[in-house]
Amino acid sequence: MENEGNKKSIKERTKAKHKEKQSKEMNESSNKQVAALFSHLEIAKGANASLASRDIHPAVLVIGLQFADFKICGANARCIATLTAFKKVIQDYKTPEGTTLSRHLPTHLSPQISYLVNSRPMSVGMGNAIRHLKLEISTMDIDLADDDAKLLLCEKIDNFIRDRITVADRVIVSYGLQKIQDGDVILTYARSSVVQALLLEAHAKGIQFKVIIVDSRPRLEGKGLLRCLVDAGISCTYAFLHAVGFVLKDVSKVFLGAHAFMSNGALYSRVGTAMVAMMAKEKNIPVIVCCETYKFAEKVQLDSFVMNEQGNPDEMVNISTTSTPKAGLLDGWLHKPDLKLLNLLHDLTPSKYITTVITEVGMIPCTSVPVILREYKQV
Amino acid sequence: MTGPRDLNAQIESLVNRLRRRQVVGSWSVSLETALLLRQVVSVARWNQVNVLINLVKDVGGKLVMAQPRELAVGNIVRRVLRLIRDVYNSEVSNSNTNLTSTSEEVEDDDKDYEDDNMIKSPPQKSKTYDLQSYSGPGSIISSSFFSSSASMINLLGDGSVSGKEASLDYDRNLLNSFFFLHLKPTIISELQELINELENMYVNIADQAMEHIHSNEIIMTVGKSRTVEMFLKTAAKKRKFSIVVAETSPKYLGHEMALSLSQAGIDTTVISDSAIFAVMSRVNKVIMGTHAVLANGGLISVSGTQMVATAAKHHSTPVVVCTGLYKLSPLYPYDEDSFNDLVAPDPVMSFDEGELIDKVTILNPYYDYVSPELVSLFITNTGGHPPSYLYRLINENYDPEDTVI
Repeated sequence: MENEGNKKSIKERTKAKHKEKQSKEMNESSNKQVAALFSHLEIAKGANASLASRDIHPAVLVIGLQFADFKICGANARCIATLTAFKKVIQDYKTPEGTTLSRHLPTHLSPQISYLVNSRPMSVGMGNAIRHLKLEISTMDIDLADDDAKLLLCEKIDNFIRDRITVADRVIVSYGLQKIQDGDVILTYARSSVVQALLLEAHAKGIQFKVIIVDSRPRLEGKGLLRCLVDAGISCTYAFLHAVGFVLKDVSKVFLGAHAFMSNGALYSRVGTAMVAMMAKEKNIPVIVCCETYKFAEKVQLDSFVMNEQGNPDEMVNISTTSTPKAGLLDGWLHKPDLKLLNLLHDLTPSKYITTVITEVGMIPCTSVPVILREYKQV
Repeated sequence: MTGPRDLNAQIESLVNRLRRRQVVGSWSVSLETALLLRQVVSVARWNQVNVLINLVKDVGGKLVMAQPRELAVGNIVRRVLRLIRDVYNSEVSNSNTNLTSTSEEVEDDDKDYEDDNMIKSPPQKSKTYDLQSYSGPGSIISSSFFSSSASMINLLGDGSVSGKEASLDYDRNLLNSFFFLHLKPTIISELQELINELENMYVNIADQAMEHIHSNEIIMTVGKSRTVEMFLKTAAKKRKFSIVVAETSPKYLGHEMALSLSQAGIDTTVISDSAIFAVMSRVNKVIMGTHAVLANGGLISVSGTQMVATAAKHHSTPVVVCTGLYKLSPLYPYDEDSFNDLVAPDPVMSFDEGELIDKVTILNPYYDYVSPELVSLFITNTGGHPPSYLYRLINENYDPEDTVI
């Protein structure tokens, strides 16, 4: 009996070892199959709530999971969600003894921020917002009582969201309305919250126009925008990116959203935006970008390689357009040593393809982005 | 020996298969058309060249009507027509040099044929000039026709018929049957050469691969093309390079291409169409196939190609198109969309989303028109040519009166 027991445990152990080895090999091979040019961009490991340390606030855990699964998607939505979660963190925060709020709170927030970054790399706007928050914390009056300080901070966060995002969007929409006339055929790519608001507002004002939505795999975000516009009664056309040359013949204006704007005037946005902007420029169609100023970044970027985000390459295998996945030919790509899949999330549009940028401070050419940044810094 | 009835059955069979799209792909379509036309030439009863030409035009017209978007059918028909005329012209000049200088008897039919042509083409001074306008540098006309000009002057169609002709009727009839008996096998052998050219198409193009690909290159390709596949696989035997394949949603031909290339051991990366511009800055060359090449050098290619070619132009990346000559069409794209098809939008948005489909227009174009300024080089089975040279290839291989079949 004992021998049998020993044999069994040995068997089990060897089985477990074998499985471990297999999974290790899988991981290694999947890492090797990252396209060589993008090997400096790690594919986000995704949120793993069980591995999070106990310091992470549950609100942050929730949005980390939502980011990793792309349930919250889009620069504005992610920024607002992050700031709202941090508000809860601050409200639940208690300054430990021997230190002040303005010194300890940033260190308390750091693990939360790194957890979010691990679930999905931060957007430029989020980075700016968090930097603003940290600045506010550090300039907090030391004499203020904890509760008052926390209240003040939450108010400041609300103000940021209101001023730089919500109201900014409304101002952008009002500027943008000047650019939409009767009979326009407007092309937009994927889904931008600002462009969506602009089109809905223009329709509400009674302007007669048509919209062409160009969408692309594997995210297919344009479908959400399509539903929204169709529900409002706007006449829409929908096509995939391959048809953009065919579709641009009738288009009068192109409206695009932004993830971030670099200081050299280049637009960093959803992958495929550069293609749409370039094709429109070829046909001399004006390209108008709607972007809030909190998305302006200090850095400069020349191509889509040095800074980008890679999504899960397995998303490319599924070729169905509905929620039920249907595996295409690439199923089992992991077993083919020479085959790699690349699922880029962003790309860079050079400034020469963009006609104008609508921000809450007005309509500026994209080369004026560093000027605006400088103005904000002086204030 | 198969009779005309069997021939009709064969013609009907190919027409039906074309219409039902059971024959798919320009190469298979061209091969089947060439084989059928060879049957037509060998089996059908004809004793005058213009009868044969009308017959081929007739059959060709039916085939083109069966699948109008498949331009390769018309191209092969035009090649065959040109072939027949070339053979005929060279045989005429050969036979004229063989005849004595006093024999102005060239057949009535022959004269009629030449008269017809003279009406269509601008009036020429002598028949020799006429011959020259039809034949290109690669033709089989011998140089002897210069010497026969003296005997041909009577064919100018000025109505003056020499009295000697009537008495030479018998001889003429003999000459008739001898002449056309000799013509048929020549035409069939030329047709066989055309079929051989088609069968060796891929090998001829792939053999040029080493001249165009260097090591450690990053090459981009779009969709799935058998020509490009063989081109790249041949190069991969001796050079190490990597490929970026743009999947062409919603047909996903790029997936098939990538699978096939990676199985041959080539380092392949699949990207979605949206990443084409992003990746283009690191791509050294774009190599792609095409569905058809038009007379101005423009391409009719799978949808998405215009994006790739424009992005390549913006990065000054050369665009190389691998195509066989059978895809070169003398048609001109006066309207970009005249060669395009909009196919079922189901892969873009399926019926599962019914309420949305009712209120929305969904577009799914099948082809793209790429303008000739975006293409750097055509690699064909006759070598590499820039887009500006295509008009010469059209002159050599097709006749202007066959442009509309």
